[in-house]
Amino acid sequence: MQRTLTSLLFAAMTALAAQPSVAHHSFAAEFDANAPIELTGTVTKVEWANPHTYFYMDVTSPKGEVENWALEMGSPNGLMRRGWTRDSMKIGDVVTVTGSRAKDGSPKGNARSVVLSTGKKLFAGSSQDNAEAN
Amino acid sequence: MRNTTILAHAIAMTALALSGSAFGQRPAAAAKPPPAPTPRLADGTVDLGGDGIWDQPWITDFGKQLVGDQQIPFLPWTKAMFDYNKSNQVAYDPQGFCLPPGGPRMFGTPYPSQFIQDRNRIVVIFEGGAHVWREIHMDGRPLPKREDLNPTYFGYSVGHWDHDTLVVETTGFNEKTWLNFNGTMHTDELTTVERISRPNRDTLHYEATITDPGAYTKPWTVAWNIPWNEGAELAEYICQENNKFLLELKDDNGNPFFEDVPTEKP
Repeated sequence: MQRTLTSLLFAAMTALAAQPSVAHHSFAAEFDANAPIELTGTVTKVEWANPHTYFYMDVTSPKGEVENWALEMGSPNGLMRRGWTRDSMKIGDVVTVTGSRAKDGSPKGNARSVVLSTGKKLFAGSSQDNAEAN
Repeated sequence: MRNTTILAHAIAMTALALSGSAFGQRPAAAAKPPPAPTPRLADGTVDLGGDGIWDQPWITDFGKQLVGDQQIPFLPWTKAMFDYNKSNQVAYDPQGFCLPPGGPRMFGTPYPSQFIQDRNRIVVIFEGGAHVWREIHMDGRPLPKREDLNPTYFGYSVGHWDHDTLVVETTGFNEKTWLNFNGTMHTDELTTVERISRPNRDTLHYEATITDPGAYTKPWTVAWNIPWNEGAELAEYICQENNKFLLELKDDNGNPFFEDVPTEKP
């Protein structure tokens, strides 16, 4: 009982103390905040690297065509401080991403949150969340 | 007893969070216990360190952090460059190239930092930017003349304590950084005076006065608070390892930024 409550308290405090989104480059130069995406696909590659973690996934269109998407997230440190671990997402996992599409129309996006194959939803450290000025 | 306290605290916080969301208000800070007092070293000096890190906020607009002034006192060229930088969504921000933020912006870059206080110097380690540090000389040496220094991203800093406030003077900046994410620029005539204090364990108050006669009509001051994260640690962050942003960065004509593409003859 105490452990549960302590965990709850810790989670609440962590949420309150959450760091602003990881910022590295201009969000608006690359992505379109007015082009929201929600995609479900199969993970093909994960690049757990700085300044941004990327993962790639195959998304099947209604016509049956498979397109490989690139999704940008925050830095590995930023993700780990949000509850990610290196094996939160593995090749072959089916995940659902919400975020914004690239301005150039290519199959690329900036992820704000990811629902993992376990059903757990994690925030992706998007640079959009704090980019109110630009 | 401890169980009861934790339970009460958890319930109170949950209730506040719920009521806050229901009425569109932020959870009241009153639920938190008062912060611990300012920590001090054995000699009484304010301790800017401890078992934790400073969770630096992301300050994207210095225009919203001004102390006193109503607006940033641009010279015409810095205003023109500010407008130009805004017009392309600050695509050419040097920090996007994994170069250090430099100057006061370093404390408004959302990766944590730590202060290491030595007797004759204070070293600030920053996880972000480009995994950089600053050294503040505390041995009473004078601030060198700008002309005698090799210009650098963070310049040359000397500091002293004004009662409980660390005052840091810096000169010798290069021109390879922007003062802020939103495209406020500067020259190598830039000097800064930073005033850093810790009113309680959980708060670092940061204030910087920016003087640059090559870029602004008068000195101006920005300030913000940085929260303490007790028990947290810095982690490695090497920005340069996979900076895909640059691979697809285009210039104003839509050509790749880093590829030599012959332009069409008129």
